[in-house]
Amino acid sequence: MIQLEGVSVVVPASRRGDADRTLLSNVTLTLAEHRICVIGANGSGKSTLLRLLNGLRLPTSGTVTAGGFSTADEGRQVRTKVGFIFTDPLAQLVMSTPIEDVELSLRGRVKGRENRSRQAMALLESRGLAHLAHQSIHDLSGGERQLVALTSVLAVEPEIIVADEPTTLLDLRNKLALRSTFSGLAQQLIYSTHDMEVAADASRVLVVDAGHIVADDAPGPAIAFYERAMATA
Amino acid sequence: MNAHANVLGFHEPGDGWLFRLPVGAKYLLMLAVVIPPLVLVRWPATLTALVLVVLFLLSSGIRPAKALRLGWMMWGILATLAVFHLVTLAPVEAFVRPGNLLVAVLGARMLTLTTPTPELMDALVWVLRPLRPVGVNPDQVALAVALMVRSIPYLMGTVDDARMAVRARGLERNPARLLTPVVIGAVAYAERSGEALAARGIGERPLAD
Repeated sequence: MIQLEGVSVVVPASRRGDADRTLLSNVTLTLAEHRICVIGANGSGKSTLLRLLNGLRLPTSGTVTAGGFSTADEGRQVRTKVGFIFTDPLAQLVMSTPIEDVELSLRGRVKGRENRSRQAMALLESRGLAHLAHQSIHDLSGGERQLVALTSVLAVEPEIIVADEPTTLLDLRNKLALRSTFSGLAQQLIYSTHDMEVAADASRVLVVDAGHIVADDAPGPAIAFYERAMATA
Repeated sequence: MNAHANVLGFHEPGDGWLFRLPVGAKYLLMLAVVIPPLVLVRWPATLTALVLVVLFLLSSGIRPAKALRLGWMMWGILATLAVFHLVTLAPVEAFVRPGNLLVAVLGARMLTLTTPTPELMDALVWVLRPLRPVGVNPDQVALAVALMVRSIPYLMGTVDDARMAVRARGLERNPARLLTPVVIGAVAYAERSGEALAARGIGERPLAD
């Protein structure tokens, strides 16, 4: 479970005389549901909100705790509990091939390279990616990369997965494949999207606008609220 | 991103003799081939090393196209070096200088094409372990080296992307215009890599043996 208490994120003005920019304003949330989706227009504060959840970004004021650990003071513990998936998997994959990337995730928890290698291959196999294990990550499709990124994050055995617009760069086939993979995950999943079909997969939807949570409801009413707001904006 | 022909290549499993050689022996073999021509700076030494390193790669079952796929940028640098020395009327240097650079790159590829990066990292950690008492963290150094290897194709791709973007605006005659996007791209990449590691908690905890 993740809790946000009075969280604000403010970035200083880039020019003297300009006002500081508030990305999130006094957000208090308890995120306990199995599937939570965050929707909102570009620049509304979705990514900022998600990055707060595993300490990739720290609040200017307020506190964020994940599994009882504070992201500000116990970032290392938080990040072992909360894995993060980026929009662009190429930004996420830090090694040259899928197997090496998954092995990197295992370095902190599995002793011996042969064990790590075997376990990395087993993880790739479990996602149907074994045939790609030794290919350059640059030769994979967007969907394959996203699945490899997910496998690398899952290798750390997080309790919660946060995904920032994971389907944005995917074609329909890969989007469907990722949705199906997500639906089978045992972990709590908190994700953002611009795709209302993907948003409807969640059990709770948060609508973010100008740094505020303006709706927090079941998918049906929350999506309807968001669509009305966008139509009148 | 279009220019991902990597100077150092990446490992694919194989069963040639270089693949089976222990990583320490591979390091020594690489040094034995690369260092003499750099020290001697004589064309017979360069030629011998070039023949040896190509022979080692090919005899390990690595296809010539893969062994020599260094990317247009590396071949461009080698050609520029050769042309410069030819223009300055130093034909031997035109062979020795780019030849030695090519030996060094191919020597490094003997390691990177035949050894998984995690194995290279483990070897580096083992070598650096005695330096722990003086404050060196072998895990961090190994991770940094692995990231550096991974970064090369990405940054080459950034150069290629910037070149295309500049060309699309009809500004290709001015190479200086590449500098800003490439530097910004490199900084952004470094930041993203740091975030990607942090997102998995890597670099924040001691690595397993």
